[in-house]
This record gives sequence, structure tokens and C-alpha cells, in this order.
Amino acid sequence: MRKLRAWFLRLGGLFGKERKEHELAEELESHIQMHIEDNLRRGMTPLEARRDALIKLGGVDSTKEGYRDRRGVPWLETLFQDVRYGLRMLRKNPGFTAVAVLTLALGIGANTAIFSLLDAVLLRLLPVEKPEQLAQVTRRSPRGDDSISTIFTNPLWEQVRDQQQVFSGVFAFGDQRFDLARGGEGHYAKGVWVSGDFFRTLGIRSAAGRLMTVSDDQRGCSGVAVLSYSFWQDHFGGAPSAVGSTISLDNHTYPIIGVAAPGFYGVEVGTKFDVALPICATAIFDGARPRLDHRSWWWLNIAGRLKPDISRAQLRARLELISPRVFAATVPPNWLIDDQKDYRNWSLGTAPASTGIFGGRQQAEGLLRILLAAVGMVLLIACANIASLMLARAATRHREMAVRRAVGASRLRLIRQLLIESVLLSTSGALLGTLLARWGTMLLLQLISTAHEQLFLDLSLDWRILGFTAAIAVITGLLFGVLPAFRSTRVSLTDAMKGSLAVDPERPARFRPGRWIVASQVALSLVLLVGGGLFLRSFIKLATLDLGFDRANVLIMHGEPRTASIQPDQWLATWDEIERRLGSVPGVLSVSHCVVTPLSGSQWDQPVHADAPNPPARMAADVYLNGITPRYFKTLGITLLAGRGFSAQDTTTSPKVAIINQTMARKFYPHLNPLGRVFRLEGDQGKLGDPIQIVGIVRNSKYASLREEDYSCAYFPICQAPGFGGGPNFLIRTSVRPSAVLSLIQSTVAGVNKSISLQFDTLARQVDDSLVQERVLATLSGFFAALALLLAMVGLYGAISYMVTLRQTELGVRMALGAAPGSILRLVLRDVVAILVAGVVAGTGIALLSVQLLQTMLFGLAARDTLTMALAIGVLSLVAFIAGYLPARRAAKVDPMVALRYE
Amino acid sequence: MGDKADVWQGTLALMILRTLDTLGPLHGYGIARRIEQTSDNLLSVNYGTIYPALLKLEQEGYVASEWGHSDNNRKAKYYKLTRAGRKQLAKEMWEWGQATAIVARFLSPKESV
Repeated sequence: MRKLRAWFLRLGGLFGKERKEHELAEELESHIQMHIEDNLRRGMTPLEARRDALIKLGGVDSTKEGYRDRRGVPWLETLFQDVRYGLRMLRKNPGFTAVAVLTLALGIGANTAIFSLLDAVLLRLLPVEKPEQLAQVTRRSPRGDDSISTIFTNPLWEQVRDQQQVFSGVFAFGDQRFDLARGGEGHYAKGVWVSGDFFRTLGIRSAAGRLMTVSDDQRGCSGVAVLSYSFWQDHFGGAPSAVGSTISLDNHTYPIIGVAAPGFYGVEVGTKFDVALPICATAIFDGARPRLDHRSWWWLNIAGRLKPDISRAQLRARLELISPRVFAATVPPNWLIDDQKDYRNWSLGTAPASTGIFGGRQQAEGLLRILLAAVGMVLLIACANIASLMLARAATRHREMAVRRAVGASRLRLIRQLLIESVLLSTSGALLGTLLARWGTMLLLQLISTAHEQLFLDLSLDWRILGFTAAIAVITGLLFGVLPAFRSTRVSLTDAMKGSLAVDPERPARFRPGRWIVASQVALSLVLLVGGGLFLRSFIKLATLDLGFDRANVLIMHGEPRTASIQPDQWLATWDEIERRLGSVPGVLSVSHCVVTPLSGSQWDQPVHADAPNPPARMAADVYLNGITPRYFKTLGITLLAGRGFSAQDTTTSPKVAIINQTMARKFYPHLNPLGRVFRLEGDQGKLGDPIQIVGIVRNSKYASLREEDYSCAYFPICQAPGFGGGPNFLIRTSVRPSAVLSLIQSTVAGVNKSISLQFDTLARQVDDSLVQERVLATLSGFFAALALLLAMVGLYGAISYMVTLRQTELGVRMALGAAPGSILRLVLRDVVAILVAGVVAGTGIALLSVQLLQTMLFGLAARDTLTMALAIGVLSLVAFIAGYLPARRAAKVDPMVALRYE
Repeated sequence: MGDKADVWQGTLALMILRTLDTLGPLHGYGIARRIEQTSDNLLSVNYGTIYPALLKLEQEGYVASEWGHSDNNRKAKYYKLTRAGRKQLAKEMWEWGQATAIVARFLSPKESV
């Protein structure tokens, strides 16, 4: 206790120093005076008296030192001293400090940005009660492919819920997008279906009203809505009156019973929900065929909180135990017998859920790690730059170091002080970098989001991000400070005090450490350039791919029939009427509607049985399908190669026909004429459908993904295509920019039926959105490569300049002895080329080794593509050579007299 | 000059406390002088070490200081024992007594048979 009190007082001793110093001086003075008086009384002379008093005291200054050591906290005080001194030194060199801080800000900021993403996506715990107790339920087929799925049907969910016995609370949830508008262009809210126990299990409180409970989620319910806090703020202005009012979702109204607490965005990583509805309410949405009893409608995720005394192993065991029962009770009756047998053999498993549920975890992890590696390399290059700068600067402080050593500072103390300077630099860089990182991550999120899928991440600063930034700041400071600190404190005192040389004469004028640093910068930059070049070329190949159709000026309009309560038998007529009217809107060249639009992310495929010899094996007999109207190919600009297109003669009652693409003709009917031939679609339980006759062949065009090649595609008249249930997609080719005719189109549709919910997009943007990941990679890696190149250039320029300065005397002598400027130039350039060659060789080696990791992300390129490598080496060499040439040229032009006089 | 042993730093605090207990409030010089006298000049006290020791005792709350005037009307800082200091002195004196008693037992002359 006493010791603690003492410590607190010592900390307090750091303040109010002046007053205490004054007091101490007074006390010691009075001590000495009293001693002198005593001595005088004893008979000493005044001189002896004073001398004796001082000796007995032991020296005023050392007494003061001892007192001060006891009064404050000595090591803390020297630390402050060093920090203040460091700040002063940095202020004296504003140019150096600015460049260093900015470079570090860019490097550290980029690292922090990528790490925040990593943290938000993979590391951040869910903002719920005790997230480490949560676990997700998965299912797996024991056969071959070992893939784990996290999606369940409602019957499966009910089985798991009733039989699990290991969770203290278990819940299910599924995504749904709701239209808040009642017709016309859609305004969408992100919805989520949740089971009754969702909020209670997660421990979420309400910010207003009450949250859903199990009693709200019983079959036959009329549905209630719970809003998320942010949606409540944005949409209702946070008004308390929102609770108790109603909300219209896809033209159904629901009462709002409450608002969830702020900071809760849902359980899925990357999205946030706006409104939650109970699972039982799907009955209202689905109408005739509700998903609640559907045994092959996959839409729910299941997770739960473990009971406190249940371990993960016990959970796994229990899920395995109940698997046979659960799956046997929910076998889909419309599947093939073989597939049903497989179904019964599926098993339930578990996955951790403390950081949230994230389907794309594997992919994102890989991507983020690559970005982190790239950004780490940029930081290393930046550090190398600063180390180089500091080495050069250290030479000018040679005298200062020598004086301080002579006065009695230990080498360790000097090194400590220099390291503190470095850490000060890196800390300032880190502070600025954190700001840059916030902008950077927001920009990045914008890049990654597409029109339909706004990515949302909780990017608020948490201790992990701050800790990461702080750690990086300190490590980089030490990293680039250590070498200069050690070198600059290795001084020979006598030499330094003797000469008027500001520069250490002992240091070899070749600046060896600097050259190594620059060479490694060049190597790292090359690696980044190669990576960036690969991603860029890959992206360009994808972006300029021949799609098989013309994407310019095509508007996509998706209509949702559900909300407009049009009877299903009226649908076809309604869409045809809309298409007809749209065709006469001024500015519209051609209209068609279809089931699936190109590169939309959705697909429809079934196996095909063709009447030809040697049909393809079962898996290869899968064909992409689409239902279209006659003007589809004209609207998209797809060429018809043989036979005829669809026309008015193809109706619901006329014989079934189809148009196939080139690949299907080649795969199913090699060396035969497919026109006139017949095939059948394989449906539920392997039953074959009606015969369909092939009447035309079209050119190949992309269907589901830009990267796919060589797949078969068949088109049907939409009136003959099996009922799909979703709304149609209209493709409208316009002569002007699609946005110009948007309102005309909307009013035309409203003229037919004003409560159809519409969603607009352009074909060009839809195609672009399918390339989002590649675009992001190309942009980021290109940016980092450019940054690295810039840093390396600056580093090379600085190093060569410095080397030239070191050799000024030597060069001056040479020129005085008659060397031509050209030979001086060549002399310096020899150094430049040596560094370049070393760096390029090392960089090429590293690149060749590491670039294989990227192969899966590239398109149309081998990872070790020689053209890219050659381009990268070429660009780097050119830029680096220029960076080295400029100071070399300066050296050759210097007047030899000036050079010789440089001391 | 006789042979003066060096003061053992650890016991300096004890001696200061004892001095203040016996003589009442005193300034730094007086304490140092008194310690030298009490040891019959066998201890050589570097007077300067008194001050850090006094500061430590003050931080631990065993003594309290205040400015006053000496006999010659000179301004000086006086230190006095606090209640906690008195208790600590008693405790340490008892501990020293125990320690010396045990050692004395070991070093006592052999009992005559």
C-alpha cells in the first residue's frame, strides 16, 4: 500500500518541476549555511568551513541528482526528453519529415484499409450476446464431392428444430427482397424471414416496441414486421409513431411491432437487413404453392446457441445421430429414386458462427490474403525508401553524434533516441494513414458493390484494427530505423572531433547498404508490376470478349406479377400487350421479353434427350434454356445461322419448337443437320417431356458467365416454355441512351396495369457487374504496382544522388585530370545498371516462384506469361534508368573546381 | 581521523525515524549531524544521501515536511514523524531486536560444562 502511494507521488513528481527545484535548492542552501556556521563556531576559517561543508554534503549536484531520481520516474523522464529532442530534429528538416510521413501514411494506410476489410469480413465477432456460443448447422452429401451446403428447406428446419436438444435456442433465417412501392419502379428493402426465436436466441434488445417471439411464428399467422434500427432512422426518421403503423411489402401490409437495437445488422456478413418477417408469413407471399411444405425449395440457414454444458463434439455427435431420421422424414417425392436414396444418406454437420454467416468465406479469404501480401510489399518498399533517406541524413549528423558520445552518452542511449525518432515518424504516418484508410475502404466497398447487391460491412474502428495499426507503426519505425541508428552511432571520436568534415570519412563512398536497399526495392516493385500486369490483362481480355450479342443501349425491365395480383392465365396476354405497346414508344428500336437475361446470375438448365446416335453422357447433356419472344435475337443482335426464327405461328397450341445454338448442334448432332430433328427435356423423376422440334440455329452467345465456353443453349417460344413463376424480363433496345426513354416506358406499362412492380437496369451494366471481382483486382493491383514503382523510382533517384555527392571529390579529380563528361556519366551509370540488374534478376526469380498462386484468378493467361513478364521488366527498367540517369547527368556537368573544393 | 564505516543504506531510513522520534521535528542537516553523533563518529554519513532517503519516507507517508525557522532564524525545511511513521518505527525496531537476538544466540560463547 505504501509502495503504491509512493509510486503515485513519483508520477506526480513529473509535474511542477520548477517549483520543486527551487525548494530543493533552498533546502540545500540552508543546509550548507548551517553547516558552515557550525564549522565557524568550531574555529575553521570561512574558506575551510565552506569547503568542509561541501565535501561532507557529497557534492551539491550529485545530491540533487539523487533527489531527482527519487522524486520522479527517471526512465520515463528520459523517454520524454528523447521524444522532445526527436520532434525538434524532425522539425528542423521539414522536407525530409514531410516526404517520410506522407510515404508512411500511404503505406500504412493501405495496410490498415485491407486489414479493416479482413477484420470486418472474417474476424469481427457478431454484435450479439456471447457470439462464441453460436454454431451453424450444415449438411453434407457423403458421396464424392464433399461439398458442404448451408441451405435447408422448411420441412428440414422444422425437423432439426424439434429434434436437436443441444441448443438453448435455435433459429432459421432466409433472405428476401421486398418492394416498398406499390407499382411502377421498385424501391427495394432488404428483408429477412426469421423464425420466432431469432431475436431471443441472439440476445437482441428492442429500441422501440417489442421484438418477434415464438408466438408470432405459428402457421396461419397474418405476419408482423420488425425494423432494423438504421432502416427505422432512414425511412421513418426514427419517429416513435412508426411502431404501431404499417409497412407495405410487395403490396401486402404488415403491422410494425418494434425496432431492433442499434448496431445489429443481421447474422449474415456483407449485408444488413431492413425489415424482418416471421417465416409463417411466407404463406401470404407464396400463394398457391407455399414454400413451408415444399421439400425441395432451399432457402433457410439454420444456427443456434449451444447449451452451456454442451461441447462442439457433443453437438456434432447429436446432429449425426438425428440425421437419418431428419432426412428420411423430408424426402422430396418428385426426385429420381436414385437421388432420393442419396438424400437419405445426407448428414448434418456444424460450422462456427461467431463471426457471422458468410457463404463466400473461402473465396474472400483468398482474395484478401493476396491483397494483404501486395500491400505489405508496398509498405516494405516505402520502409526501404525511408531507411535509405535516413542513412543519407545520418551522415550529416555525424558531428552531433560524436559530440554526444564524447560528453558521456552511451551508444545504447543514442540508438534509443534515434529509434524513438523513427517511431515518431512512423506514428505520424500511421495517424495520417488511418484517415486515408477510412476513405480507402469506403471507396473499395463502392468498387465491389454492384447495382443489385450493395455490400455492407460494419467498418467501425475496433480494438483489433487500432492494435494492428499501432503494431505496424512501431514495427515499421524500428524496421527502417535500426540500420541507420546503428551505423550512425558507430563513430570514431577522435576523427570526428579533428576534422571539419561533416561526413564520416571512414564510410566507404560506395554506400553499400543503400545499394542493397534500392536493389531490393526494384525487385519487389517488379513482383508487384508482374502481378498487376497479369490481373490487368486478364480483366481486359474478359472485358473485350466477344459476347455474341450487342450490349449497347439495351434497357432491361423486370416485371413482378405477384404484386399486381394478375391471374396466372392472364400473364402471357399482359406481357404480350406490354411488349406490343412498348414497341411503338418513340426512341425504342426493338422490344422482346424472355425468362433469363444474359449474365444476370440466374440460369435455367435441364438435361436433354436427343434423337441422334451417340448422345452425350448424362452430365454433358445438360443444356441452358430460355423462353423468348420472336424479336429476342433481333433485340440482342444475335445472328440466326440456319432455319427460321419464332413467329406468330408458334402459339401455346402449335407443335413445340426450339432454336438451338452452334455448340448444341455440334455436341448433340455432330456431322448431321439438326433442323427438323426432335429432342425431349428430362423433368421430375426422369420423365421425358413432349417432343420438341428444332427449327433454327443461332450463333453462340454468353449466358451465365463470361468465363464459360462451350456450352449448349436452346431457346423456346415463351408461350410454350414451361411455367416459370417469376416475372418476365423485357429487353428494350433504344436508339438513344436508355435513361432518356425511361419515364415514357414506365407510363406505357402503367397504361396496361399500374400496379406491376418494375425494376430497371441496362444490359451494359449487368455485364459489367458480372466482372466486379476481376475489375477490383485489376484496379487495386494496378494501383499498388504504380505506387510501388513510384516509391522505387524516388528511392533510386535519392540513392544515386547521394552516391554522387559522396564521390564528388573523386569525380572532381577525374575531371580535372581531363576525363570527358561522357566518361563520368558512364562511370555513374555503371552503378545504376548494376543495381538495376541485381534488382530485376532477383525480382524475376521471386515473381516466377510466387505467381503460380494467382493462376485460378486469371483468365486467358498463364501465370508465367512471358509477354506480361517482359512488359513489366521493360517498364521497370525504363523508369528506373531514367531515375538513375538524372543525377548521373548532373554529376557529369559539375564544374571540377566546385567538386574539388567540397570538403 | 578514525576509521569510519560506510552507512548501510537500508538502515538509514530506520535511523532517521529514530532520530525524529527522539528529538522531535528537525531539519535535514540536524538529522544528519545527529546520526553522526549518535554513532559516536563511527559512521560516516554522506550528508547528501539523507535527502533522497527523506523524500522516500515522505512519499511513503512516514514523515511530513514543512518550512520553518531554525534557532538562528534561518529558513529551513523541518521533518516530523507521522503516526504511521511511529508505527513503522516500532515495527522495525522490534524486527531488528528479533534479528539480533537470534544471531546473538548463535554467536554466544559456549556454555561452560
